Order: sequence, then C-alpha cells, then structure tokens
Amino acid sequence: MKKILFFTLAMLLTAGPSAEARTKLVALPDREAVTIRFDNPSATLVEEERVLTLQEGENLVDFSWRGVQIDPDSIRLSIMTHPDRVTLLSVSYPPGEAALVWRIHSDTAREEKVRISYLLSNIDRLITYKGVASKDEKTLDLEAFLVLRNFSGEDFERARIVLGQGDPFTDQTTHEETRQIHFLTARGIKIRKTFTWDASNKPWEPQRLETDVGIPVHYIIENSPKSGLGKDPLWDGKIRMFQDDGQKGTIFLGEDHVGITPVRSRMKIYIGDSRDVSVTQFKTKDERTDPRPSKHAVVLYDTEEEIRTEVRNFKDSPVTVDLIQQIPGEWEMKGSSMEYEKRDANTLVYRVDVPAGGTKEISFNYSRRNVRN
Amino acid sequence: MRKPALILCFLFALSILPDAAARAKVDLVTLPSRESVQLTIYNSADLTLARDIRTLTMRKGDNRLQFAWSGTLIDPTSLEMLALGQAREIQLKSLQFPPRVQGLGIWNIDSGVAGKVPFEITYFTSGISWQAYYLATLTPGEDAMKLQGYVRVTNNSGEDYENAETRLVVGKINLLDRIADLARRNEPYGRPGPGFPEPLYGMAGDRVLEEAVPAMMAAKAELKRTRPKEIRKEGLSEYFLYSIEGTEDIANGWGKRLISFTAPEVPVKNVYRYEEERYGPATVRFLSFVNDRQHNMGTEPIPGGLVKVFRDTGEEGYLSYVGARETRYVPRGEEVDLNLGPSEEVSVKPVLMNYRTDNYEWKDDRITGWDEHRTFEVKVANYRPMPVKVEVRRNFPVKAWQLENTGDPGLYEKVDADTVQYTLDLPANGEKVITYDVTWHMGSRGSR
Repeated sequence: MKKILFFTLAMLLTAGPSAEARTKLVALPDREAVTIRFDNPSATLVEEERVLTLQEGENLVDFSWRGVQIDPDSIRLSIMTHPDRVTLLSVSYPPGEAALVWRIHSDTAREEKVRISYLLSNIDRLITYKGVASKDEKTLDLEAFLVLRNFSGEDFERARIVLGQGDPFTDQTTHEETRQIHFLTARGIKIRKTFTWDASNKPWEPQRLETDVGIPVHYIIENSPKSGLGKDPLWDGKIRMFQDDGQKGTIFLGEDHVGITPVRSRMKIYIGDSRDVSVTQFKTKDERTDPRPSKHAVVLYDTEEEIRTEVRNFKDSPVTVDLIQQIPGEWEMKGSSMEYEKRDANTLVYRVDVPAGGTKEISFNYSRRNVRN
Repeated sequence: MRKPALILCFLFALSILPDAAARAKVDLVTLPSRESVQLTIYNSADLTLARDIRTLTMRKGDNRLQFAWSGTLIDPTSLEMLALGQAREIQLKSLQFPPRVQGLGIWNIDSGVAGKVPFEITYFTSGISWQAYYLATLTPGEDAMKLQGYVRVTNNSGEDYENAETRLVVGKINLLDRIADLARRNEPYGRPGPGFPEPLYGMAGDRVLEEAVPAMMAAKAELKRTRPKEIRKEGLSEYFLYSIEGTEDIANGWGKRLISFTAPEVPVKNVYRYEEERYGPATVRFLSFVNDRQHNMGTEPIPGGLVKVFRDTGEEGYLSYVGARETRYVPRGEEVDLNLGPSEEVSVKPVLMNYRTDNYEWKDDRITGWDEHRTFEVKVANYRPMPVKVEVRRNFPVKAWQLENTGDPGLYEKVDADTVQYTLDLPANGEKVITYDVTWHMGSRGSR
C-alpha cells in the first residue's frame, strides 16, 4: 500500500508548479533506505533516501501523500551526494492538496541521492516489560519489548528502526500491523521489597470492615550498572511481574505502569496487596489544652494527641513496613517509641521491622499548636 | 468434543510480505497438538495464566509459526513463547499481529537447528475463575466445629482444557487492564494517538462468577480414585499457590468442585457483641476460631469465601442451619471472627437511669460549657442453655469524658480515645447488669 508518492518533474515551464506541470512524470524513484526513529515518544520521524534523476538547471520534484498524515511543515530535504552542486531553491505547497513541490537546481544532469525526513502520524511504539523475580524475591530478570503500532496508512518493507538506545535493527512494518520485538534483557537485578501503610488512605481498624484490606507491596530496582542496567533510561510502559515458582514455571504477581526511569534513579513497581501483614491504629488520646483568649470564647487552642499502632506479620519471613503518618498544621513531637523520618512538614515515616509471625507496636504523642476553633 | 479453539501451525516462509494473499498460499507443515497444559487461576481478578507445552518441528533458518485463538478470551499482549530445549539455537525475532485479522499472531523464529524442539507458550486468558467456600458443622455443645474447605473452578474461557495441571492463586494482584477487555480489543495494543484506554483500578472482587454449575464432571481418572485429590499449598511472594494433585479436565462451560481441606475438630468461641454505632440495637453473634496448628487448622491462609454454618443437633446426626457469612482472607495464625448476623439468643439492653447537668460556664449571655452526667444500666441476658461470652462496647461522642463504675461487673478496657469495652462471661441462662456513671464535659468544659 503505497500512499506516499514521489515524482520528479521535468522543468519545462518557467511558471510555478501548476497541476498540469506536476502530472508530467519523469521518474518515480524508489525508496532506498528507510529509517523510522522512535526516540521521541510523542512523534515518529521517518527518513527515507531516494535517488533523483536531475537534469541540468532547475528541476521540480513533487512529493505528495494520500491516506496518511504527514506534518507538511516537518518535511525536510537533504542533498546527500553533491550538497555543494545541487541546491534546494524553494518549497511550495499546491493549493488544497497534501503535497509539496521542491525546486532543485543542479549544475549538471546527474543521479543525486536525497534524504527526506518527515513526521508521520499514527505510527508509534509502546514499551512493555516482563520481570521475573527469583523465588526468594532477591533478584529480578527484566526483559523489555518494543511494540510497534503502525496504523499510519503506509507499508515499510524494510526499515531501519532506531530506538535511541541499543542497536538499530531492520524489520518490516505494514499498515494496521502490530509487531512486538524484544530489545533488552538484564538478569539478576537486585530487588528491594517494601510494604507501605498510609494512615491517610488506609482504614485504621481493618478488623471492623467486611472486606479485605491489603498493604501495598512494591519492588524497587535501580537503573544502574550494578543492576546490569544503567546504560540508558528505562522508558515508561506497562510491566508485568512474574515470580519463579520453584517448579520450573512462574506465577503472575501483578502489573503496573512504570514512569520513565533515568539512569541512577529507581523504578518502583506496585505488585499487589499483602494480606499477611496488618496494621491497626488508634488515637488513644485527643485533648484540647491551653484555650485562648479565655476558656469562655475559645478561638485558639492546642491539643495533646497520642497514636498507637500495631503491625502484625503473619508471614514466615520478616518484613519491613513503612508507616506513613500525617499531622496537619503546626505541631511538636513530645515522645515517640522509635525513630522516624520526617518526609515533609506534615508527613512522618516510621520504618518498622517485624519478625516472622510477630507483632510490633509503636506509639507517639504530639501537641498541635494554635488550632483555630 | 468441540474443535479446539487454539490452533498452532507452521508456515513456510515463502513470502516476506505477510499480507492476506500471502498467508492464504502458505503451506501448513505441522499441526502440533498440546502436550501438557498448566493453568494458574487467580481469584482476585478474572485472570488465568496458561502454560502450554508443544513440540514443534523446526527448519534451519527462518520459521514462521502461526497461533490462532479466535473465539477465546486470550489477551494477545500476554502471548509469549520460549524454547525449552536448544534455547541458544533458537531466536525469537518478533511476534507479529497481521493487519485486519483478529485472534492471530505469527512468531518469526530464526532456528540454528532442524528437528523437534519443545516450546512453552504462555498467555493470559479470562473466563476461568475459582471461588472458595466452606461448610462448618458445630458440635452439639458448640465448642468446636468441623470445617471443610472447597474450591469451585469454572471455565467459561471458550477453550477446553484437558489434563490440565491446575493451580490456584490466593492473593490480590494489581492489574491495570481487565484481561477480558484486552482480549476483545480489535488491535492487540490499541491504536496510536490519543484515546488510550484508561487504566482500571479497584479490580478486587471483580470476579466472573457464574451461577452454580452442577459438578457433573465425572472424569475417567476420578472414577478410579479411592480418595479425593490433595491440594499442595505453598507461599510465594504475597500470594499462596494451591497446586491440585494430578491433572484435571476442565471443559468450557463446566464447573468443578475440589476439596481444599478438612479440619475435623476446630475449637470455637461463641461471642455475642453489642455496639449500637456499629450493629444497631441488636446483639450480633460471632463465631471465632484461630487459623493455626494449635487449633487444629493448617499452616496456610484461608482464602475468602462463603461459610455456611450448621449445627449438629445431637439427634442421629441431624443438622440445624445456623447461618452463612462471607469471610475475608484469613492469614495463618489470625483469629477469624465470623459475623453470623443479629441474634435473639442473647440480649443487651442499655437503659438510661439518671440524667443531670452542672458546672455551667458563661460568656456574656451565652452558655459556653457544661457537664452532663448519666447513669446507665446495661442488662445482659443469655437465653441459651450454654455459657456464652458477651462483649459490650460503648462509644462517647465527646473527647472529654470520665467513667465511674458503681455496679458489678465493673471491669472495662479502653479501646481508643472514645470507646470502652465490657467483657462478660455469662453462664447458661444467666443474666448480669453493668452499671456505670459517665460524665461528658461539653463545650468549653472540654478544653482544660
């Protein structure tokens, strides 16, 4: 399905390109080499090389397309073999047509190789990942696939496909075809597994609910050389995570959409929810203190609050659970049963290690200041 | 038997262009049948991981292998192929979904060897589901129960699976898209441009469950059996994997019931709870037991499912139906609290006996604070011919309160900042009264 047409026209008329002029076909040069570049996720750049048979003097070259979407202002022409002897004089757009006409000057009759570049719509790529975690969840094998979706209207029989990372490769792609191509394997990437409970969006007393409450579980990997990666950013895409089941097979753990992961940064993959770790939290104290300006018409007061949290691990292996706590407004910590990390003005993170089959309790009390009535 | 829906065949790579005309001319070389299949079925989402083993005859050089699945609910984006033998010699170059054809994929394979090579083809399918359910039988004294766990596997995937090694996964996985939606797309990965399908969240409980399908599948193997099949259980990551012994035939449209476990004597506690803010003005019966070895259960979690509770009447094994309730997932070692609904057998009646206010505070002409004093008598009565445990919770709507006990039983525990709990053991047909005085500090009296 050839939708992009290409003609060289004899320069017979001195007037500008008219419809009649462009029907006078001199040669229909074939595509010689096509490169499709997918390094920009929002636009696909096609570059094709063709040999033009030029006459001495001015030549008109017509480039038109039907049934495909090309951004006309993105079309560029480069003279390859004799850039000093062959000159692009002008580009004109015929009225009401998906076409343009190049006016090219050559100092002598010759075969000239040119490269035409343009942005083609409705052809793109997706990245998908497959991760297989080891049975002990310490390492991960990662594979990446390119999914080439060509709904552009154009067939490319032999194209060099450039991703901007890894080696370019040659493949074909036809209109309305989807093709999945493997492009990256990294083995033995170290995993850090995390459990996260956020007080602002998880129920405090899950026992009181009729439905299951899970604790989100993530794998964190680093895009770095020690992980066998670190050469290029990992593009955004859907990742499907599996785990070695120890029986020569795998089970599916879950899927996530991961954002672009630059070199030396971390990819956080949400797997699913653990129901073998439970968190129960209570507010055990909530009192008003220091009413101002008087206790008869209070406009401002402080509070004394206490939080008690119990983390239970029903698994036969130890876990580390990140408890995310929020305290609004201005506050002062009065006492805490363990160290915490202050993530921002109102967010604390307690990293709690819970042994296999064990329970860990933490508590902290704080005072909120200048709460308005 | 229906024609298999999944068809795998070899194509001679005669034409480079995979257009429809070229495909029509290609010669069919082999039609390898399925040698074995493993199904890993999830219950938190409509998803099954199928692993198909087939031996294919490779030619040296380029091979094209066509896989067709129209009429099934396979997710094409999950298709994957792996050479099990001579993997170094076999290079899977690409998987192509040709234009204007649905339910068809072509693998382009570069083989360095000629001859038979075993391959594993994996994919996700929707339409196969499993659900756990339980039958509990209480002893006449209601101090223990026999608990039987079952799973029912239902296949509506469009494909028959014979001799399938069946595994069930307990756990809540994260999914962005429904497999059934991916299976129904016209293009496997959709089209470029805006309007990509929005990711779906909250897949939990999204089960494709059919109405009860009669478990009529009397497979040959089962007729020969003298004992039910065993289910091997193993923890993997945050999930539990149940592997059913041997293989199963699961034909499209059929369901199958399998025994998961039988625990003959699990000690149970009967607890009646009363908490107006939570259950309304009724006493709710709970049956609780612990999922661990000491309490005669196994060492695995129990997947959520409906528990039907019966009681052995003690009269020649006749049963009485107590009630049914959906359980949540129960981790290993956790105590299960099965809510059997409101009960008339134990009554809890709080009665306000006394009310007064004092300690008013003023600002100009307005009252800004005061104290409220209440005396409550909570009458707890057990109409059952056996001892029961009763838990009464009282919530107070203010932050500043004081509780004083004047009667028997006076023991309570503070559950959180505004809740107290009284725990009582009542003998058969026994009755007790809890009396307490509570002071609520209202308005400015609440700020000290």
